[in-house]
Amino acid sequence: MIKKKVTIVNDAGLHARPAAALVKLASKFESDFYIHLYGYKVNGKSILGVMTLAAEKGAELELELDGPDEKEATEAITELIDDGFGEVYEDENE
Amino acid sequence: MDLVKFMRMKMSDQVDHKEMYIFGAPACPGIVIGNTSLFQRVRPHITDTQIADDEAEDHIRKFYEAIDIAEEELEELLENTDLKASTDLIQMQIAILKDPELHDRVEQEISANNKPVDSAVESIFRNYLQVIRQNHGETFQNKSVDISDIRDRLLQIIHNKRDDIKEGTILVAKELSPREIISFSNRDIKGLITDRGGATSHAAIIARSMNIPTVVGTKKATEVINSGDEVVLDGRNGEVVVYPKDETRKKYKSLIAQQSKRQADFESLCKKPNKTSDGTPFTLQANIEFAEELSIANKYQAEGVGLLRTESIYLSRKHFQDIDHQVAFYASILELTAPHQVTIRLFDVGGDKFFGDEEKEQNPFLGWRGIRMLLEQPKLLKNQLRAIFKTSGDFMGRIRILVPMVSTINEIRKLKNIIDEVQKELLNEGINIDKEIPLGLMVEIPSVALKANLFARHADFLSIGTNDLTQYTLAVDRGNERISNLYDQRHPAIWQLIKEVAEAGERNGAPVSVCGELASDPIAACCLMGLGIDTLSMNAVVLPAVKQLLRSNSYADMQRLANKALQAETLDDIDNIFSNWETKE
Repeated sequence: MIKKKVTIVNDAGLHARPAAALVKLASKFESDFYIHLYGYKVNGKSILGVMTLAAEKGAELELELDGPDEKEATEAITELIDDGFGEVYEDENE
Repeated sequence: MDLVKFMRMKMSDQVDHKEMYIFGAPACPGIVIGNTSLFQRVRPHITDTQIADDEAEDHIRKFYEAIDIAEEELEELLENTDLKASTDLIQMQIAILKDPELHDRVEQEISANNKPVDSAVESIFRNYLQVIRQNHGETFQNKSVDISDIRDRLLQIIHNKRDDIKEGTILVAKELSPREIISFSNRDIKGLITDRGGATSHAAIIARSMNIPTVVGTKKATEVINSGDEVVLDGRNGEVVVYPKDETRKKYKSLIAQQSKRQADFESLCKKPNKTSDGTPFTLQANIEFAEELSIANKYQAEGVGLLRTESIYLSRKHFQDIDHQVAFYASILELTAPHQVTIRLFDVGGDKFFGDEEKEQNPFLGWRGIRMLLEQPKLLKNQLRAIFKTSGDFMGRIRILVPMVSTINEIRKLKNIIDEVQKELLNEGINIDKEIPLGLMVEIPSVALKANLFARHADFLSIGTNDLTQYTLAVDRGNERISNLYDQRHPAIWQLIKEVAEAGERNGAPVSVCGELASDPIAACCLMGLGIDTLSMNAVVLPAVKQLLRSNSYADMQRLANKALQAETLDDIDNIFSNWETKE
């Protein structure tokens, strides 16, 4: 199991569109994925769950990944969040 | 006794079918007569019984069947829509249907708590909505509507409630979500009447883009109209006639005949070149706020967007800060308007509206708004400029920037410095941008119109906003009903100011256009043309009427009209000049 802290950097925070992007990415991996924030724990592959977090810019999420591809998953998800979800929009627009 | 009874029957008969008018806000023009279907957003009666353990499996199966059906429906909608806004909305809803945690929790609710499927769905969604509302506060409201819309669709499917919509009817509903309206696209719905909602709601905009005559906000349509009743819907003025009398029906039928003829004429008219009868070319553009509005604009051959409002897209502060969201919006507009120009007006509201916590101003229209506010909120301004320039790389030469509420040259200088900064930043980041985006000023403050010669030297183009220019020049608050009769954009003083601006633009090589309501009055449009303003931008719906009059008159005649308007002393004079000019034809 991997635990890793990441900070939301994009101004708008983890609102609906980034949440959709995050869930879409996480669902490509086999590992279980949970997000901890303010004492909540949600399933990172659940769009409704991620939306309930209302993570603002500056919020520090703790990612918890567990499974055969946990390393790759952690890397990819961290990158997405560090990038402010920017790249994913462009992928999706194509 | 019998007679009394007879009369009472007679009377009640009449009462039942007495012609009745109800009124709402016109949301999409067009007249239709037809029978109604009542659309109920069925939040059906939720079963509150407990199920036996051995029934759980069956209920879980029903849940997944409902999920599959709902998903198929959305996928089908997705294939039939190419509007970016609609696609986003539908994809979010599909993601919700696929949510594994939603599945687990509903299953759990059924098998562990012995809830029937409908009640399980209802309570799990209630739970999510509660938490979301708690954590997000008000700002999330729009999105949570989508979530409840998905819940309602699932419940409808579980209850096997096909909606009672009959093809070819006029729909009457309490309110409609954008998804619901999109889903009517293949069901031949003639018109829409709702109790709630305003003409600028997203649902109304989608109705307009699909050209379904619509009246919204009637407050009581679902109370007074029954399924199958005959109604007349007049989407031009927001009127609905229930149980129309023979003569009413006749009157509207002939109006419809006229309208459809005019519509056909319009479409063939719009394909003709934009030239006056003596061959002087002109340009007609559309004022828009949402991508959906472009379907009408394109149908009427608008040559680009003369005014893209950017306020309502960023109702929440969050969206305004989301540069990617802005880029996606601008790009969708530019894609749909190729190869024409799009004039993006920088965010134009009072500070009070945007930063709700600021002090309320006594005179917000004379206050901290437009460029005055933007220059003091550099982050906000820079984000918008970044988004515009980021978009521009893919659409070279097609974007123009329009600055609202400019009143000093210093404001333009400061803005230009910030634009330079933003351009440099983007170039350093290796982003491809259009470095030559023209920068234009809204002429809406009388002092700017009077000193147009000076301002024109500092701008690439000028766009006259007659709505505010009139309000400031005549000192009339158009929203104040007691004095609204004093508000008229055709006032002689306004013509004089417009002439100053037109001449100053000409002298300084800065093209002048008009994007205010004045341009949507066909005779006023001819008069503007007569003053040498050959680019007009307006609500797309009025494009054909304006084009028709511009095409059927000569430029020489329009110049004569403009000269007369400039010599007019009072509004009455203008009325006379305009009505004589009209009857002359």
